[in-house]
Amino acid sequence: MNDNNMKKTVLHAIQIRKSFGVRGNVQQVLKGIDLRVVEGEFVGIMGPSGSGKSTLINVLSTIDQTTEGKILVEDVDISNMKNAELSLFRRNKLGFIFQDYNLLDTLTVKENILLPVSLGKMKKKAAESEFQAIASELGILEIAHKYPYEISGGQRQRTSAARALIHGPSLVFADEPTGALDSKAASSLLGKMEQLNQQRSITIMMVTHDPVASSYCSRVIFLKDGMLYSELYRGSKSRQAFFKDIMNVQAVLGGDHIDTV
Amino acid sequence: MTLFELVIRSMRKNIKNYYLYFFALIFSTTLYYVFAALQHDSSIMTATFADVQFASLFKVSGIVLLLIVVIFMINANSIFLKRRSREIGLYQLIGLTRRAVWLLLIAENILLGIGALLIGIGAGALMSRLFLLILMKLIGIETVINLSFSPTAAVQTAIVFALLIGLTLMQMLIKVYGTSLLALFTAERQGEHPKRPNAAVSAIVGLFSITMITTGYMLSGKEPGQELFLQMLVILASTILGTYLLFRVTIGWLFYSVRRSRNGQLGLKNSLSLAPVMHRMKANANSLTLITVLSAMTLTMVAIAYSLYFSTENESHVMLPYDFIFENKEQDSLAFRTDLEQAGIKFVHHPVDAIRLAGIYGNGENMERSTLLLGAEQLQLIDPELITPRQGEAIWYKGQKKAMGIEQDTVLYPQEVHLGTNGFQSVIRITEGIDRYAVNFNLNGRQLVITEAELHAIRDRMPLTPGQEIILLDTYQIADRNGRAEAASLYDKYAKAYRPTAPDFHSYYQESLQKFGLIIFIAGFLGLIFLIATGSILYFKQMTEAEQEKGVYTILRQLGFSEREIMGGIIRKQLFVFAIPLAIGLVHSSFAVKAASALTLSDIAFPAAMAMAIYTVIYFTFAILTVGYYRRIVRLAL
Repeated sequence: MNDNNMKKTVLHAIQIRKSFGVRGNVQQVLKGIDLRVVEGEFVGIMGPSGSGKSTLINVLSTIDQTTEGKILVEDVDISNMKNAELSLFRRNKLGFIFQDYNLLDTLTVKENILLPVSLGKMKKKAAESEFQAIASELGILEIAHKYPYEISGGQRQRTSAARALIHGPSLVFADEPTGALDSKAASSLLGKMEQLNQQRSITIMMVTHDPVASSYCSRVIFLKDGMLYSELYRGSKSRQAFFKDIMNVQAVLGGDHIDTV
Repeated sequence: MTLFELVIRSMRKNIKNYYLYFFALIFSTTLYYVFAALQHDSSIMTATFADVQFASLFKVSGIVLLLIVVIFMINANSIFLKRRSREIGLYQLIGLTRRAVWLLLIAENILLGIGALLIGIGAGALMSRLFLLILMKLIGIETVINLSFSPTAAVQTAIVFALLIGLTLMQMLIKVYGTSLLALFTAERQGEHPKRPNAAVSAIVGLFSITMITTGYMLSGKEPGQELFLQMLVILASTILGTYLLFRVTIGWLFYSVRRSRNGQLGLKNSLSLAPVMHRMKANANSLTLITVLSAMTLTMVAIAYSLYFSTENESHVMLPYDFIFENKEQDSLAFRTDLEQAGIKFVHHPVDAIRLAGIYGNGENMERSTLLLGAEQLQLIDPELITPRQGEAIWYKGQKKAMGIEQDTVLYPQEVHLGTNGFQSVIRITEGIDRYAVNFNLNGRQLVITEAELHAIRDRMPLTPGQEIILLDTYQIADRNGRAEAASLYDKYAKAYRPTAPDFHSYYQESLQKFGLIIFIAGFLGLIFLIATGSILYFKQMTEAEQEKGVYTILRQLGFSEREIMGGIIRKQLFVFAIPLAIGLVHSSFAVKAASALTLSDIAFPAAMAMAIYTVIYFTFAILTVGYYRRIVRLAL
């Protein structure tokens, strides 16, 4: 934990709150969350349905705006940015992997992956070599000219991951990336993500409800009713051991029925 | 909730999809009513156009009008049904019977139809007066005619549109009963996957499509032979088929080549324009062809009609350079002159000497042609632009309309003409042929202009035999328009005997103005409906595509593309969708107009370009509407 303090802070959220609804019927979904993510971390966010996981990641990834609180990404305050600034910020600094891939059906794998750099300053040659590197690392070089409907779910999600990484973002958000995959494809994808995280020291935040998925992370945060409930660091534990720890927390967390019994 | 409440509710919910359809429906009803009212008000028609041709012109136009309304309604309705597939499926899923769903759709459509019909007829009753005024203005009649509400026209409109709505109800019946639930739910997601086109086949078909179109163009430029009808049919068939293949294969192949050359680096704009257009090329080939052909037809029709109307005055001048001409009728001429003086009309009277005799033209046909020799110097007093030929030479004022010409335009100049019979001979070289007349077209004989000295020389040598006569033309030019009209009525009493063969400028001009005024009126009328129909169909199609692509915009906004950047891509797509059919239509129609320009002696490039420009401007307002619709969708995407 000490070396965490020395590393660069990528994301710093201070007392973020988010309410939905109109006057008289306001529902607070995030009730003051503090979070700090340093470079190279692979953070998993877990919690039961309605705990605010998706809201949290939407707010952190600038897709939604907070009601209160401050979010700093690489020391830049994004909570007061205008729409156009936010767009530019997202395009340059963030990467996204979604549960349902969110690939454009009309584009080939390669076109999809290269989309985020299409308006940037990246040179064509640089983009091409970056594509070659990422695609071969993710094992999708052979299907570069296929359309999304021609490839499997796992390949689609790896395409989506490549698209999230092509422009070298500071932070990658993954929202249930394995939600639509079978277990084999899921573990293959998570393995790749872990590998990229370690080799390229890419910072990743992943929302998931699957303990297996979160066992690939270096840290797992548990949410409950819009507040931080608990936090686990993997440290030097094996994935299996970490998985058991996660299961234990989950048993307590999701175990309202245990309390009542 | 009763079925009726459900109907009202779903209509309220769908109003934003419906309003343009509703408006288009009202508009077509209005125009149809106006048309029917004009057609039925026999008092106007008989008063204005004694000619039977005009009545039949109106009838044919009515049928064309109906045809386009049918095409439009069926197209629009099928687009809406496809959009609402999920809703139809949902109703069935929650337990409504197919019958009930059909009834629901019927009720909606009938309410919509009755509303449009009532408003349309009401608007039509108000508008018909305006249209009548426009018509009167166009054909240059200034009398006031009252047009009351025509119940016959209203009933006719109601019947026609009731039948049309019946047609759409049948479409709904087929949709509701003939489609499986699963198909209803997946209908919105349909869209073919672009295939890698086979290069060889595409190249061959692409070349073929261009060859077809070029063949059509080349044929249209050729002089029509005896097989005019067959030739037109071949031109139409080859151009339309070529256009279809162009959309179906050539453009797709072109896009594919561009895309492949990008090697994955497509860019946002192309991702939002090229890729989705390619994605739907197969499905859209039909409708794009339809729109192109309709645009080309409308453009041609409007451009020709406007050109004819625009050049009426010029054309009349070319045909009848002199307001009045009396040929060897000195008595009548003198009496007419006295009449003019008494009426106080300003005029210029010039006697012109001429000779009429037979001539054999040196183009190998070896036939005697009646020829009218005129002295240049005399004509120049009225028409200073007339060129004096050199001694022994002549300028032939052919004035023939190219299309009507029996001879080809390729007659070579200089060409010799042997004048005279019965022992008298004179040879003149024709150095030039000009597409206008030196004196009024009705005067018998080919008009050759020579020097006055030559004219006198021939007159002195020529024996007077039948077929070889000396002619005195008494020409009158009237200074102003009003005087011309008055003079025309004075001319009446002399002209009774020979009016059809000796028209005066004013009457000829008025008659042409009426003829072409009515034609431009009908062409404009139909053109407007065609335009609205094609524009609306494109708009509806794009509206549907925008809804289908909503998810894409959400993704792009999440990836960090701003609304403006996305709109840039969408505008490019709209350019493809709207501009490609229009551009091809414009090229088609300019060839058609060029072919048709043989009908007139005037230069119609300007009026044709004007008509096309106006059409383009109105057409692009639909593109702007479409972009506005996309903008709303993109804004709400995140």
